[in-house]
Amino acid sequence: MKTTPLYSYHQSHAKLTEFAGYEMPLWYTTTTEEHMAVRNRCGIFDVSHMGRFSVKGPAAGSFLEGLVPTQVQSQPAGKAFYTLLLNEKGGIIDDLIITKLAEADFLVVVNAANAEGDMAHMRRHAPPSGVQIDDVTATSAMMAVQGPQAAAVLQPLTALDLGQLKRFRSGVTQVLRQPSIISRTGYTGEDGFEVIMFGPTTDAPQGALAVWERLVESSAACGLSARDSLRLEAGFPLHGSDIDQETNPFQADLAWVISADKKGYIGSDAISGFRQTPPEVVKKGAVLDRGIPRHGFEVLDSRSDRIGVVTSGSFSPVLKKGIALCRVGLGSSGSGNSVKVRVRASLEDGRLVKPPFYDEASYGWRRAAT
Amino acid sequence: MDIGGFHIPDGLLYTKEHEWAREEGSVVVVGITDYAAKTLNDVVYVTFPKVNDKVKQFKSMGTVESIKAVSELYSPISGTVVRVNQALESHPELINKSPYSEGWLVELKPENFASERKVLLDPKAYTSHVMSLSHK
Repeated sequence: MKTTPLYSYHQSHAKLTEFAGYEMPLWYTTTTEEHMAVRNRCGIFDVSHMGRFSVKGPAAGSFLEGLVPTQVQSQPAGKAFYTLLLNEKGGIIDDLIITKLAEADFLVVVNAANAEGDMAHMRRHAPPSGVQIDDVTATSAMMAVQGPQAAAVLQPLTALDLGQLKRFRSGVTQVLRQPSIISRTGYTGEDGFEVIMFGPTTDAPQGALAVWERLVESSAACGLSARDSLRLEAGFPLHGSDIDQETNPFQADLAWVISADKKGYIGSDAISGFRQTPPEVVKKGAVLDRGIPRHGFEVLDSRSDRIGVVTSGSFSPVLKKGIALCRVGLGSSGSGNSVKVRVRASLEDGRLVKPPFYDEASYGWRRAAT
Repeated sequence: MDIGGFHIPDGLLYTKEHEWAREEGSVVVVGITDYAAKTLNDVVYVTFPKVNDKVKQFKSMGTVESIKAVSELYSPISGTVVRVNQALESHPELINKSPYSEGWLVELKPENFASERKVLLDPKAYTSHVMSLSHK
């Protein structure tokens, strides 16, 4: 099984689990404690398992332009943006973040479970010259520093002025004297940063461990379990559960990533077609009065007719209720937003909501400054 | 007894599925073990049988859920549900804090305890069972 440069820390501090071929921390203390540390203070995550591809060269911009539905070349240097890799049918191969470091220098960060397939997809569509694609996953480390205190936790380790770094912007800098990219991004709903350090490997992990040890002095180490409960509470999709190759961006409430009038990318013909006809199913959030919804549970309307399925479900530590992302039929009726979810033998009452599930006045990056 | 960070008290009977049973006069109190609670990590939700429900030995009578997973609650013995621990509805974390005391789940009036107890594990046998699991 593969490991990350931070493995020795995880091994002595965490309950470990296998994820996408990596031995990763599932939790260090409890999921609830780690989850609430991120919502109230700051938590750090080892996300070194995520795929990191360097795409460079004079044709790098035009190559990526042809791969994703979001405008690439018109982005300013230093911009990080969320987008999708689509297949010809408009289905979602993966969701990813592209960072434009310079005109001919991009960094692509993809889901660990899809990294191999994404790389094959990219190589298959790369022009014969003008683009150099390198997998830099094994020669770098990546950490997410997330929560309202993230800037204060990370700032002492870098000369980059984090107060000046806007959301979805990246800076090339050093972190504890090691070459790094810091982006004001994350997948928890909170303010925070993702730090990619170039150099650390599993055989020479010291640089990454030194940064982690410093960060953990003023934050909570968080595992994959809290990473999942945080992204669900924020309403963000997980590829493989909520979105997949059979789901198109309109069904997933991700049409906002498609740049208006953009043509000529893989899947663009299918996307134009979807624009003409509303999707038959849409993504919704659901909150239950009792019980915990799980992936695959049935969603019913108030007359108990089946209208959809839970794609991700768990317990919200903030709401202290079961929450779910669901795929429901658009035409399905019923009274208002009332639904039921079949939780094993019982039908539990709930209502459809628009995520995030937490109150944005109190939690998340939009919250009023305290 | 403490093994691998898990507390396994004397005087209780255990199942391989990590429930405990404690005889208290005419009733038997049931809960999940420290090992089960720690493996679940943080219990956030419990579903109980109803009072007066009949339960069968080793059959599911409810669920104990963490953020990550659902675990079936199997009854260690056959009998009738006398009481359930209502405190767990608002404070499921009691199962993690105090699995053998405040975190009890169900009180049963046993049907056939004298013979059914023979197939339950004593603390020593349960300890060996946990050891075999943690070395996998």
